[in-house]
Amino acid sequence: MLVKRRSREAAATGRLSQMAAGVAAKPLDRRSFLRASGLTVGGLAALSAVGAGMTRRVEAAGFTDMRQPIEIKTNICTHCSVGCTVKAEVQNGVWVGQEPAWDSPINRGTHCAKGASVRELVHGDRRIKYPMKKVGGEWQRISWDQALDEISEKMTEIRGRSGADAIYLLGSAKFSNEGAYLFRKFAAFWGTNNVDHQARICHSTTVAGVANTWGYGAMTNSYNDIRNSKTVIFMGSNAAEAHPVSLQHILEGKETQRANVIVLDPRFTRTAAHATEYVRFRPGTDIAVIHGMLYHIFENGWEDKDYIAQRVWGMDQVREVVKDYTPDVVENISGIDGETLKRVAQKFAQERPSTFIWCMGGTQHTVGTANVRAYNILLLATGNVGGEGNGANIFRGHCNVQGATDFGLDVGNLPCYYGLGAGAWRHWSRVWDVPYDYFVSRFDAVPAKGGRDARTPEQNMEVPGITSTRWFDAVTLDADEVDQQDNIKAMIVFGHGGNTVPRMQDAQRGMNALDLLVVADPHPTTFAALHSRTDNTYLLPICTQFECSGSRTASNRSIQWGEKVVDPIFESDNDYAVIYGLSERLGFADEMFKNYEMVQGKFGMEPTPESILREINRGGWSTGYTGQSPERLKLHMAHQDKFDLITLRAKADAPAEIAGDFYGLPWPCWGTPELRHPGTHILYNTNLHPMEGGGAFRPRFGLERDGETLLAEGSWPQGSEIQDGYPEFTYALLEQLGWETDLTAQEMAVIERIGGENIGGVSWSLDLSGGIQRVALEHGCVPFGNGKARAVAWNLPDPIPVHREPIYTSRPDLVAEYPTNADRRQQRMPNIGAVVQQDVVDRGVANDFPIILTSGRLVEYEGGGEETRSNPWLAELKQDMFVEINPVDAAARGIVDGGWVWVTGAEGASKARVKALVTERVNQGLAFMPFHFAGWFQGEDQRGNYPAGTDPIVLGESVNVITTYGYDPVTGMHEGKVTLCQIAAA
Amino acid sequence: MARMKFLCDADRCIECQACVTACKNEHEVPWGINRRRVVTLNDGLPGERSVSMACMHCTDAPCAAVCPVKCFYTTADAVVLHNKDTCIGCGYCSYACPFGAPQYPQTANFGTRGKMDKCTYCSGGPEPDMSQAEYVKYGANRLAEGKLPICAEMCSTKALLAGDGDIIAEIYRERVVTRGYGSGAWGWRTAYGETVTV
Amino acid sequence: MTFLTRLLASFALVLALSLTAPMASAQVNPTQSSVTEDALFQALGTGPVAGRTTIPDGNAGYLIKPENKAWAALQGQTLHTLSIVAVVGMLALLTLFYLLRGKIRVDAGLSGRTILRFNAIERFAHWTLATTFIILALTGLNLIIGKTVIMPLIGEAAFGSLSTAGKIAHNYLAWPFMISVLLIFLLWVVHNLPNKVDLEWIKQGGGLLKKGVHPPAKKFNAGQKVIFWTVVLGGAALSYTGVMLLFPADAGTFADWQFYQTVHALVAAAMSAIVIAHIYIGSVGMEGAFDAMGSGEVDENWAKEHHSLWVEEVKGQSATAKPSAATTPAE
Repeated sequence: MLVKRRSREAAATGRLSQMAAGVAAKPLDRRSFLRASGLTVGGLAALSAVGAGMTRRVEAAGFTDMRQPIEIKTNICTHCSVGCTVKAEVQNGVWVGQEPAWDSPINRGTHCAKGASVRELVHGDRRIKYPMKKVGGEWQRISWDQALDEISEKMTEIRGRSGADAIYLLGSAKFSNEGAYLFRKFAAFWGTNNVDHQARICHSTTVAGVANTWGYGAMTNSYNDIRNSKTVIFMGSNAAEAHPVSLQHILEGKETQRANVIVLDPRFTRTAAHATEYVRFRPGTDIAVIHGMLYHIFENGWEDKDYIAQRVWGMDQVREVVKDYTPDVVENISGIDGETLKRVAQKFAQERPSTFIWCMGGTQHTVGTANVRAYNILLLATGNVGGEGNGANIFRGHCNVQGATDFGLDVGNLPCYYGLGAGAWRHWSRVWDVPYDYFVSRFDAVPAKGGRDARTPEQNMEVPGITSTRWFDAVTLDADEVDQQDNIKAMIVFGHGGNTVPRMQDAQRGMNALDLLVVADPHPTTFAALHSRTDNTYLLPICTQFECSGSRTASNRSIQWGEKVVDPIFESDNDYAVIYGLSERLGFADEMFKNYEMVQGKFGMEPTPESILREINRGGWSTGYTGQSPERLKLHMAHQDKFDLITLRAKADAPAEIAGDFYGLPWPCWGTPELRHPGTHILYNTNLHPMEGGGAFRPRFGLERDGETLLAEGSWPQGSEIQDGYPEFTYALLEQLGWETDLTAQEMAVIERIGGENIGGVSWSLDLSGGIQRVALEHGCVPFGNGKARAVAWNLPDPIPVHREPIYTSRPDLVAEYPTNADRRQQRMPNIGAVVQQDVVDRGVANDFPIILTSGRLVEYEGGGEETRSNPWLAELKQDMFVEINPVDAAARGIVDGGWVWVTGAEGASKARVKALVTERVNQGLAFMPFHFAGWFQGEDQRGNYPAGTDPIVLGESVNVITTYGYDPVTGMHEGKVTLCQIAAA
Repeated sequence: MARMKFLCDADRCIECQACVTACKNEHEVPWGINRRRVVTLNDGLPGERSVSMACMHCTDAPCAAVCPVKCFYTTADAVVLHNKDTCIGCGYCSYACPFGAPQYPQTANFGTRGKMDKCTYCSGGPEPDMSQAEYVKYGANRLAEGKLPICAEMCSTKALLAGDGDIIAEIYRERVVTRGYGSGAWGWRTAYGETVTV
Repeated sequence: MTFLTRLLASFALVLALSLTAPMASAQVNPTQSSVTEDALFQALGTGPVAGRTTIPDGNAGYLIKPENKAWAALQGQTLHTLSIVAVVGMLALLTLFYLLRGKIRVDAGLSGRTILRFNAIERFAHWTLATTFIILALTGLNLIIGKTVIMPLIGEAAFGSLSTAGKIAHNYLAWPFMISVLLIFLLWVVHNLPNKVDLEWIKQGGGLLKKGVHPPAKKFNAGQKVIFWTVVLGGAALSYTGVMLLFPADAGTFADWQFYQTVHALVAAAMSAIVIAHIYIGSVGMEGAFDAMGSGEVDENWAKEHHSLWVEEVKGQSATAKPSAATTPAE
């Protein structure tokens, strides 16, 4: 297929004589390289004229000179979570070309629009070039030293006035694992749990729902494994746009398996276009739909009875609840007729293995956690978790949202899901080699207010912080309503957009009211442009992950090491250095960084990501982040071609040091690196020996409930010496089994040191030696135990999900029977969803705003979109914000395709001026808007608010100006998928 | 010698636009010039299919037939290229092309189109292979490096195939047999006077 | 028009769609209902296959335009041949005519007295028109046959530069051409309205074919009127299509461009042929004719033979009302 005109070598040699020696052999920086190439860097000038008559931009930055040596650098795409390998060709320090990374088992050379254009990120025409601050409303250039000095002084000053919790640390799913971990550690040293990142607004409800069902909050299988599926359901996932490269596996699987691909979605998406069955339903009615399917499954006895008996607890209770969801009831709620659902249910239950894929269409709801639970119950009922080709394939969003979640950029967790309990703090104190009391000393005491009890610092450090969806409420609400010492006074935002959370009018008020706003990002983001602040606003130029090294965890839990491609461009610097710089000025750098190898960075000292990862390896026992040493990860990157496309396992011809490994050592990768655990491709898979990547459901909710065991019955992973369920491994359990003698003396010493008086309580997740894990694995046992998944999660607001109408519902008649959750306080804030919903019904909002508005993703842009809208190769493809509207609705309103319209929202007289895209993709009564746009606010062009030269090429209204109140009662996830609006021609 | 062709398997194409930006990236194609684009048919309706389209490097290329200055030439690999030094920007090739391939730096009016630009099948132009002069005018010359067009190489779902016509037709045929459906070798009849029958 | 390209030719597509998938059906299988190229071609004939793109280029939505090949064949072969036939044919015809008839002399011999036939404005208009037309015709013709005639002589690079210069000249000289077409129209339209005299003139073949035959004519004889109207109408057609081709963004879609280009080429070929004849008769073909546009003064005897009625008019006028007109110097 590859036809060579002539070999590269021959061609290059032949050309030597033709070419006069042009570029000198001495190393050149990017600028002088371009100069020497005899070509102007016309990018900035030419781009300012974006629009009609764009003149030709002549740049040589993409020219690869065959006479010069080419360095190949391997990194990972920084956009979505698929984890595509990016192969960069570098010459003279300039990234000159992007080649297909054929060897990667994940993307096999391919990319989507975003991945195929990542080289532009280090062109960086629109990047923040140097630190800046706003003085009297004008952006001014400052030095890194000045910026970090002033920021740390102000942080300290605010801390003195309002406490440590007054500073909100918003982190990023764009961090490397090491960066995310470091940021979480920074928050711990600073003394707050107000630390969060994008997982809050994408899959926080997934993590809560899934972890509460069977143990861990992650995708159970992998993109590659979907090739084994016979039935694939997408519900609330438009993978063709959000995870395009995953479709390579799914479509090839569909073809070779002749698999059913069923898309359940309110919108006819590009994924739906390739489905074998498309089913439309009303947004926000997922639970009714799933229960409708379960109704048919139980009715016809299609459930997997053995699987349920062995591995699931509480399914009978589900059976009772589901009886209420008759085909008529479900059709009334969701719009799907019984026959269709029956057909879908039968395929899913009987044409196995079946996998269920969901994304933000499922999670971004006031019932997000309950939706996820419903999906899980469907999977459990049909016996579709824990094997090849089945599972909960949760496609995560950002490139490292899985890793950043794992490392606790979360208001309720320390790294690796240890929670916030004293045991967790003590564990990480041991790993960090810092006294537990030090952290106590860093936290605020919270006074009694609003009828709540006071908290000591020690209590406060165990209370989850404020979620990123509510930060602005925590700025502007009455201080009594905010359950901490004072309101939020400062936002330190690393790599997070400001347009991805609903109620942007309120977000704008919040930004204006802050005492300090720091944006650390390659691009200015909405946080730099939405508000009318005049001072105390800083921009720190952070480089992309292509300009530093580190590991990132893809959606399938594979960890991939990214190699620095080029040095940080302009005056940008990496996260490690900036976090270090801040810590240094705040006075805790010596303690925080003492375990790391420090090297000279661009502007100062910085820790090496390798040494940070080694610390993670020493502490991440609970999630199996211990076996993935930097050396092993780098070996995997060097031998990508040795891994199988479907099983992801190293093939027979692999070198000994990676033999048997799963690609990227997907967590859990138990024990120390020396144990050579291969990682876990498929979670909870009893068909493999735990030492070969097998597992079981994790019993983390006690040993029994209602007199029934919560441990597995008659099911165990291959090779298990305990042929039944068992609890998590502790030293005491080892003793009971008589296996404690297998521990080495060194391991024993560590366990004794940790356990002190209570050595029996030292568990697999606290034992820093890894001995308990090693011994359990040797006996074919899973360190965390062998339990049952929970069909009933009694600790959640709805132990078994029930349908609840969206707050802004188009069916107020259903609210009485299916009301939203009762008001409550959560994560230090009030949630008044029920009050709002009643008001919506009482005021007849659905009459004035008759169109349901939902939101979603485009292939060209990502997240808040600043980065991608600044990339001309992408921006050209989507130049206007738009709303998709059905031809019938459009005709009734005199709206023409491509014409301007005003979309008005149901709260705060919000409005957005966008273009109409008249299409059958949406049904009558439904409108869709993408969420990547910002820079216009309710008709006002805010281009002038960006520092000169950093404004994204494409600006537009944000959908979250229109979206409305509504938060998941468990995680504080916002309602981003159902609200009401009206549309009129502009 | 090979007969290079493109084939877009619309049953795989998900309109992810990777081919478009990969092309932009590889050749630093300026804003406003789209050597490749994705067109969606029956948008929003069951039966919706997307097709990635660029110069198909036709047999008896119509562009060459109408070019007043004969700037087109066909390589030994059957790739249709053109010489920008000769091109006068008259626009006739864009009227003649069945695929909308020819692009101009200026889409606006009055003789200011500039030199025509189009997909080169990643094989440059008349300048010495892989020279900077060639890069600036036409972009990279991957064929000379023994590689195939970047759009096809980077296609997310391997929908877009590039290579010898017989070979890619065979790949497509096998796919259709395996999966049992196929919407056709879009553009082949028009470009090559034949289609892929299964 | 900066947004998503419209569903161009969507009617045809809807038609095609009805062959594939009814939307309202409960069971929707997008894979099975796939649109296929075969079905579309059957539904559309050679019409364009069009869809939606997000690039703000109105023509990007056309996926395949099979009928463009027909235009390419028309332009690349038919028009090419026609143009050559028209120009070469006319040259051959005139050569033949010259050989048979020779130069048409003034039968009465030159009188030595002259009268003013075209004043300065008229001559300015004519020569502007003539010059621009010739350059436009040559640069236009170059696009048709240059590649076979000139390119082998001077090489590809030089031919490219020459043609680029020619194209620029063509684009800019089009404007004075159009103005002068308008000018001669205004100046001479009154004299070129057909009348009874023309019938007689035509009946006698303009006296061109036979020595000594001189049908009466006013300022312009029927043959000249044909030239006039050819130039005015042809010029207008060339102007309109030319302007459309110069402003493609406002001239519609590719089908319109093709139409304008075809009309432009056909009219240009026809006009070139007719103008060649005009040049012949105004120069080597007829004694005394060139002076009309040269100095503006024609020999009285020439005038009497070819424009007898006009001479009477002018004589009468100058004898009575405008004695000075004849002596106004041409500048």
